[in-house]
Amino acid sequence: MADRYSFSLTTFSPSGKLVQIEYALNAVNQGVTALGIKATNGIVLATEKKSSSPLIDPPSLSKISLITPDIGMVYAGMGPDYRVLVDKARKVSHTGYKRIYNEYPPTRILVQDVARVVQEATQSGGVRPYGVSLLIAGWDEGVEPETPQAQKGDEEEPKKATGKTGGILKGGPSLYQVDPSGSYYPWKATAIGKHATSAKTFLEKRYTEGLELEDAIHIALLTLKETIEGEMNGDTIEIGIVGPPADHLLGFEGVEGSRGPRFRKLTKEEIEDYLTSL
Amino acid sequence: MMDQLVRQYSRSPHQNEFYSEQEQHDLTEGLPPLSLKFSLPPVANHSAFLRAMTDDHSNPNCPIKLAHGTTTLAFRFQGGIIVCTDSRATAGSWIASQTVKKVIPVSRLSRGEDKPGSEPVPGLLGTMAGGAADCQYWLRYLSQQCTLHEIRHKRRITVAAASKILANLTYAYKGYGLSMGTMLAGVTPQEGPALYYIDSDGTRLPGNMFCVGSGQTFAYGVLDANYRYDLTEEEALELGRRSILAAMHRDAYSGGFINLYHVKEEGWVHHGFNDMNPIFWKTKLEKGEFSNVTSEL
Amino acid sequence: MSSPFDINGGACVAMVGKDCVAIACDLRLGMQALTVSNNFPKIFNFAPGTYLGLTGLATDVSTVSDLFRYKVNMYRLREERHIAPQTLANLVSSSLYERRFGPYFVSPVIAGINNTTGKPFICGFDSIGCIDFAKDFIVSGTASDQLFGTCEGLWEPDLSPENLFETISQALLSAVDRDALSGWGAQVYIIEKDKVTQRLLKGRQD
Repeated sequence: MADRYSFSLTTFSPSGKLVQIEYALNAVNQGVTALGIKATNGIVLATEKKSSSPLIDPPSLSKISLITPDIGMVYAGMGPDYRVLVDKARKVSHTGYKRIYNEYPPTRILVQDVARVVQEATQSGGVRPYGVSLLIAGWDEGVEPETPQAQKGDEEEPKKATGKTGGILKGGPSLYQVDPSGSYYPWKATAIGKHATSAKTFLEKRYTEGLELEDAIHIALLTLKETIEGEMNGDTIEIGIVGPPADHLLGFEGVEGSRGPRFRKLTKEEIEDYLTSL
Repeated sequence: MMDQLVRQYSRSPHQNEFYSEQEQHDLTEGLPPLSLKFSLPPVANHSAFLRAMTDDHSNPNCPIKLAHGTTTLAFRFQGGIIVCTDSRATAGSWIASQTVKKVIPVSRLSRGEDKPGSEPVPGLLGTMAGGAADCQYWLRYLSQQCTLHEIRHKRRITVAAASKILANLTYAYKGYGLSMGTMLAGVTPQEGPALYYIDSDGTRLPGNMFCVGSGQTFAYGVLDANYRYDLTEEEALELGRRSILAAMHRDAYSGGFINLYHVKEEGWVHHGFNDMNPIFWKTKLEKGEFSNVTSEL
Repeated sequence: MSSPFDINGGACVAMVGKDCVAIACDLRLGMQALTVSNNFPKIFNFAPGTYLGLTGLATDVSTVSDLFRYKVNMYRLREERHIAPQTLANLVSSSLYERRFGPYFVSPVIAGINNTTGKPFICGFDSIGCIDFAKDFIVSGTASDQLFGTCEGLWEPDLSPENLFETISQALLSAVDRDALSGWGAQVYIIEKDKVTQRLLKGRQD
């Protein structure tokens, strides 16, 4: 019976499901696990880089991508679909935002734009849904003035170093998941892909409020270690962080008001340093 | 040698005692040959060239911007003639002056300065609309002719004759790009109160009421609505003032000060050169007129 | 005289003071020499402490202000925040350049205080979106030549809100009194952090 409704993407089954979307989720759930953890001063994205053959050159493979200087993205599911979405996300962040306002979109705006692209593939004729789930991590500058925040904040949240918990108004880190249906969810920490369930159980145990970025990277590696199938080293692990502005990546210096990208991928050496201290 | 030089550079002191025949002719004949007195541009068609250079209506980019834009009015009533003008001179949208005297006394006897008292000064009044230089120059020229007329004929010139001198002049220069719209007002024993309109097309019209300039329609609006021949002197002065005020308000190229004159049998009387702005607000706030203007946020 | 920028007339000026900005406009709307309205403000509010002044062709002033009202409303709904003056400036610039080969006949001016940094901001544009960032003042409209003169003469750095009001008012009134197509009253906004004062100036009515 289900087969009769599973061919046309845009036809609901009698139970109210679009089964092609469910199948797309199945594709995601067979994909390599990826995870993200939000800290007070940054975010970490991590995934395993699995190569099907020892002949593949590992550094040429890349699963974590920069979208804007302050926003990065990782996936679980079908690699080619992800590449298309990275292109579209980078493009829409310019056509739909930077070319209009001369600034990059806040994380939530970019997530909405990407989610729209994904959703349109569930409602258009002649296409199939994207077979990927995404984790999008970004830092927002925020628009609220900083000074009154520090004075007010001490009563409610005495333990936090900054009042920034993410979002357009306050600014700070935010972490979103986008599914093949086009739904998106904000997370403190989450995982997608094959071992998402067990990874999330692990993250629930290890996550604490007021986490620092260094702790988050540590937890990310521990979580990956639980689920990884092969060896863990700088070639098989990929990590992207959203942290303090990386001015050394700017390519120039001495220009007043310019700021390096907050999103960057960790080098093989940096990953191995973290692994040795695990 | 010395004798030769002395002969060459010394003349009898009485040699130039008399006017030459040519000079006598120039002085006695009425109008000098006008069209030869001004140098013309060295082009085939003077009038078309001058128009292209100075007429900012047909050519907004014309290189010579003449001072334009005015409201002037004059009307006859039982007590004489009221003459009233604004005082703005514009070149394009630039306000070149807010203190132009657009009423020009014409004829010899009126050359005296405005007296502080309201004693009448005999003579004609001319008004100025259009090119400021054209009006000023030709009304001064007219003034000379009026004086000459008075010397020759031992009596003051009539308004009809004076206006005809000006009209003949403007007709002679028709097409050369002169720009003037003038009214001549005066009271003479022969005519009584007389009012003429003369413009640079050569038009010459006698009449009871004229408004001239870019703001003429606004002035006519108020003047037509409230005009009667048997207006009292006070009413007539107020009507002239109010008509110009309306034009100054609505016409961008009119404004500044209200210049008001009353011409009567004994001569003309000046009734002030007053800033329109306080008069406007007084009119609005005390009489409730100009309700279109907002005075509160 | 038949330039679309000069048909309706109008003037606008913005100035920076110490922790404050000011923006002012005249109130005239004319058709060539004829004054049609004495109540046509040319300054529009787009966020608390963020104002856009538009001079030029009146129909485009209305159209462009409505267009930005729509764009800024959409921005606020989408992003759940007010638009910053700098962001509005870039939005104005890109929107005007979209009409590069058939421009709106307007000369916009922006004045505001950035809520995040607390810093004053002013800028002006040509009709196809070139931004003119200025540290002192911005002028636009048929009286812009006169405004350059009055502003150059009256403005000085770090004016208090009260002195800034006096300065911008005198600069505007003096300028429009030498322009046949501007004047007939004026509106002034003094923008301080968390406070905006709006005033009506009684100008000459000729």
